[in-house]
Amino acid sequence: MGAFDILAISGSGVNLNRTWLDSISDNIANINTVRPTSEAAYQARYVEAQAVSPDAAQPGGVAVTGISLGSAEGRLTYQPDNPMADAQGMVRMPDVDLSEQMSQLIMAQRGYQANLSVVQRATDAYNAALQIGKG
Amino acid sequence: MSGISPLTSIARAAAVAPPSGVTPSSTLLTGSAGASSDSFSSALSGAVDNLQQVQNKADGLAMQAVTGTLANPHDYMIAATEASLNTQMTVAVRNKALEAFNEIMRMPL
Repeated sequence: MGAFDILAISGSGVNLNRTWLDSISDNIANINTVRPTSEAAYQARYVEAQAVSPDAAQPGGVAVTGISLGSAEGRLTYQPDNPMADAQGMVRMPDVDLSEQMSQLIMAQRGYQANLSVVQRATDAYNAALQIGKG
Repeated sequence: MSGISPLTSIARAAAVAPPSGVTPSSTLLTGSAGASSDSFSSALSGAVDNLQQVQNKADGLAMQAVTGTLANPHDYMIAATEASLNTQMTVAVRNKALEAFNEIMRMPL
């Protein structure tokens, strides 16, 4: 590719972490979504990432290859007061662990920031190189 | 964004102008000098074309940003940074080339 490959590589990392943040926020938003036992529970979203091997078209980086879904069975919970409860008083809660999601949220946020600080450093370095030609 | 296009047209003019001025005198000196000035002009015009591409990409993303269809805000910021760096680099190369050309023109014969 070109002379400024770091920007494209870090950009792909930022992209991945943003997708990760999106799916974490989706998981947290749906953490209390109750479904009747006759239906599938909310399925947690997991981001699949894969390294991009550098070639003539791409300088490398990472790509989101897809979003896989967690268990549709969920956790069967006894809530007889719930209007959606079946004859046994059971409902389906999503199989999402809030503390796990929160730690993943921190990882995704730090990953996003780390990639952006690479962009910042690369810009500084390139600017320093361009100063050679001046004066 | 449109403020940058005069620069690219200047750079393009510089890419075309030096070979026509240099070739007659350089062919008097050595035969191989003509080929190297050709490759310099093609390298410079290639760099200008690349610059145009990068700027068009940044322009497209800027348009998406103002119309609210931009999915990733960082995409535009990165593209704009890349366009700015590319412009600076092309202008630096052009300035150096012009300086070298002027140095040769000032040579007492």
